[in-house]
Amino acid sequence: MKTEKIIIDSSLHSKFSLKEIITYKSLLNNLAKRDFLVRYKQAYIGIAWALFKPLISILIFGYISTKINPGTSTATNFVYVAAAMLLWQLFSNIFNDVSNSILGNANLFSKVYFPKIIIPISTILVCLIDFFISLSILVVLFIISGQSIHWQLLLAPIFVALTILNGFGIGLYFATINVKYRDVKFIVPVIIQFGMYLSPVIFSTSYYLDRLPSYLHWVFCLNPMVGAIDGFKYCLFGGEMIYNLPYFIVSIAVSFLFLIIGLKYFYKFERSFVDYI
Amino acid sequence: MSKNTIIKVEGLSKKYLLNKQLAPKSDTLYGSILDQLKNFRSLNSKKQQEEFWALSNLSLEIKEGDRVGIIGRNGAGKSTLLKILSRITPPTSGKIILGGRVASLLEVGTGFHGDLSGRENIYLNGSILGMTKQEITKKFDEIVAFAEIEKFLDTPVKRYSSGMYVRLAFAVAAHLEPDILIVDEVLAVGDAEFQKKCLGKMKDVSGQGRTVLFVSHNMQAISTLCDQGILLNKGTLHTAGPIDTCLHNYFGLLKDYSFNENTAKNDRQSRANGKAAFSKAIALLPDGSENKFWSFRYDETLRFSFECKVHEVCDGLTFYMAIKGTTSETIITNIKTNIVSKDLKVGDTISFKLSIPACHVRSGQYDLYFAIGNKAGTSWYDVIDGNINLPALIVTAINEDIHDNIGYITIPYSIDEKTY
Repeated sequence: MKTEKIIIDSSLHSKFSLKEIITYKSLLNNLAKRDFLVRYKQAYIGIAWALFKPLISILIFGYISTKINPGTSTATNFVYVAAAMLLWQLFSNIFNDVSNSILGNANLFSKVYFPKIIIPISTILVCLIDFFISLSILVVLFIISGQSIHWQLLLAPIFVALTILNGFGIGLYFATINVKYRDVKFIVPVIIQFGMYLSPVIFSTSYYLDRLPSYLHWVFCLNPMVGAIDGFKYCLFGGEMIYNLPYFIVSIAVSFLFLIIGLKYFYKFERSFVDYI
Repeated sequence: MSKNTIIKVEGLSKKYLLNKQLAPKSDTLYGSILDQLKNFRSLNSKKQQEEFWALSNLSLEIKEGDRVGIIGRNGAGKSTLLKILSRITPPTSGKIILGGRVASLLEVGTGFHGDLSGRENIYLNGSILGMTKQEITKKFDEIVAFAEIEKFLDTPVKRYSSGMYVRLAFAVAAHLEPDILIVDEVLAVGDAEFQKKCLGKMKDVSGQGRTVLFVSHNMQAISTLCDQGILLNKGTLHTAGPIDTCLHNYFGLLKDYSFNENTAKNDRQSRANGKAAFSKAIALLPDGSENKFWSFRYDETLRFSFECKVHEVCDGLTFYMAIKGTTSETIITNIKTNIVSKDLKVGDTISFKLSIPACHVRSGQYDLYFAIGNKAGTSWYDVIDGNINLPALIVTAINEDIHDNIGYITIPYSIDEKTY
C-alpha cells in the first residue's frame, strides 16, 4: 500500500495546485455534467434556450444599432452586436454562476473534502457549452454580412479565453464574499446589467470615447471587458476595432489583476468556508 | 505485533464564534419585516459573539487497522473531530498527521441529484467521494448488485423509494477503498436488514487492514463493529482504549446529566419561540426521588416530572411528548395534552408529573422529545430532546424470552372462541 502523508495544520493555507485539480478531474467532469444535464431539464424547448437567450438580445440591440449607425449596413450592424453580445453573455454567465457556485454547492463541501476551486471551474465548463451553441448565430451572421476570412480569426480564441478569465476572477471574488454576505445575489445582477452599457457591446469603444471627456477615457478602459470585446472584434472584423493600443493594453492588464485578486481572496478563506455557511 | 500509527492528533482545538441571534419574535409577514428593520439598525452596534470551543487541546493516536468507535454525548465534539479529520473544516490550532488516503462518509448520498438517474448518480457520487472514473466503472456492477436496484438504474432517483435511495448511496460509499474510512451515523437510516449488511461491509473493510472511524449513537452497532474506542466529553479526551472500557465510562458520564432553563439556550431558542421554557425535566424512581439513569424496568411505571417557567404572556400550555427509536423513527406520538387553558402571566411556574403505565414500552433505548406550546398546540414555546443533552430513556428487560426483548410496544389483545 502506497502511503502518502497528509498533514492538517492550523497554520497552513491552501494554494492553487494544478496537480490536485488533475487528480480530481473526474469530479470536475461529473459536476459539469450534472449542471449541464439539470440546467435544461423540464424545460420544454430544452437546450434551444442556449440559442434563444442570446438571439433575443442580439435582435433587440442589433435593431437599436441600425438606428444609431444608419451609415453601416444592417447585416454588419447585427454581426458587430452579435460578436460583442455573445462575449458579454459568456462573461456575465460565468460571473453570475461562479459567484453563486460556492454557496450553491455548500452541501457537498460541508460533507466531503475536495479542492473547492473545482466547483467554479466546473461552472465555467457549463457556460462554455452554452457559448459554443450560441456561436452558431455569429457564424450565420458572419456569412450573411459577407465578412472576409483572414488569418486574424485564428487569434479570436485568445479573447474568448480572456473573457473566461474575467468572469472567473471577478466571480471568485464575489463567490468568496457570498459565503458570508448574501448581499452578493442582489449586487451581481446590477453589475451585469449596468456593466453591459459601460462595455462596447451595443456601441463601439470609439462611440463611447468620442462622447466622454478625455480625462474619463482611462476610467472607461479600466473595464476588463473593453479589451476582451475589442480584441475579439478586431480578430473577426479587422480594421479600426482597437481604438487606442495603450487603452487596450491597460484593459487586459486589469483582467489579470482581477484574476490574481480573485484567486488570492478565494484561497485566503477557502479552508474555512464551511464555518461561515 | 505492534501496529503503525496511522492518525496522530496533537493539541487539536477548534473554536466557533456563535452570533447571538435574537429569536424571531413574530409569525406574521408584517411582524418579520419590522424585525428585519430592527436588525438593520443593530448592524451598527457591536455584534455580540460568543466563543465556543468544540474541541480543546485534544491529542490522540490511532493505529493502522483499528476499528475505532467515537462516542460521547451530544456536543462532545465527535462530529467536529470527524470534520477536521476529513479536512472539511480547519482546526483553530494543533496538528494532525494522516498516514493515508481518507474517505469520509458523513452523510449518505452527498451530492445526489434527484433529476439524475441512478447510473448518473453513481458516477457523480463516486467522484465526489474521491473515486476516479476507472475505479467506479470497475466496481459499477458490484455497486448495483449491493444496492439491489438493477431494474431502476435509468430512473431519476427522485422517483426512488427512500429505502432504495439509501441503499444506492451506501453502496457507492461502501465500495471506496481508502486507507482510512470515516463514518458518521449513516446507519441511522435504512431497514434493519440493510443495516446489518452495511455493518458487515464495514467489518470487511477493516478486515483488509484499513482503519475505520465510526460515530454512532447506536451503542449496539458500536460494540459490534469496533474494537477500540475514544470517549469525548465537552471537547476533551475522556478515555481512549478498548471499546468496552469506553462504553463503560460513557454510561457513567450519562448519569451526570443536569438540565435547567439555560441548558443549550441558543439551540432551543432557534427551534421555538421561547415564550415559556422547561426549567426542570427529570425521570422519577418509584419512591419519587430522581432517577438519574433514566432507566426503568419493563414492569415499572415510567414517571417523569416537569417544571416550566413563563417568560412572556402565554395563551395556555399544551404538553407534547414523542418517543423515538435510536434510529430516529418516531414510535409513540399520542401523548399530547392541555395542561393549562387560561392565559399565563410572566413569572408563572407550572409543574406537573407524567406517568406511562408499566409494560407498554418494551426493553431498549429510546430518544425522548418533549415540547410545550400554546393552548391550541399551534405554536411552540420550547422543545427539548437528545440534541440538547436530554438523556435517552432506557427500558431494561425482565426476562430472557427473545420475543419480550425485540419490538417497541406492547398492545392489549385477547384470544376468543378457542376450540380444541
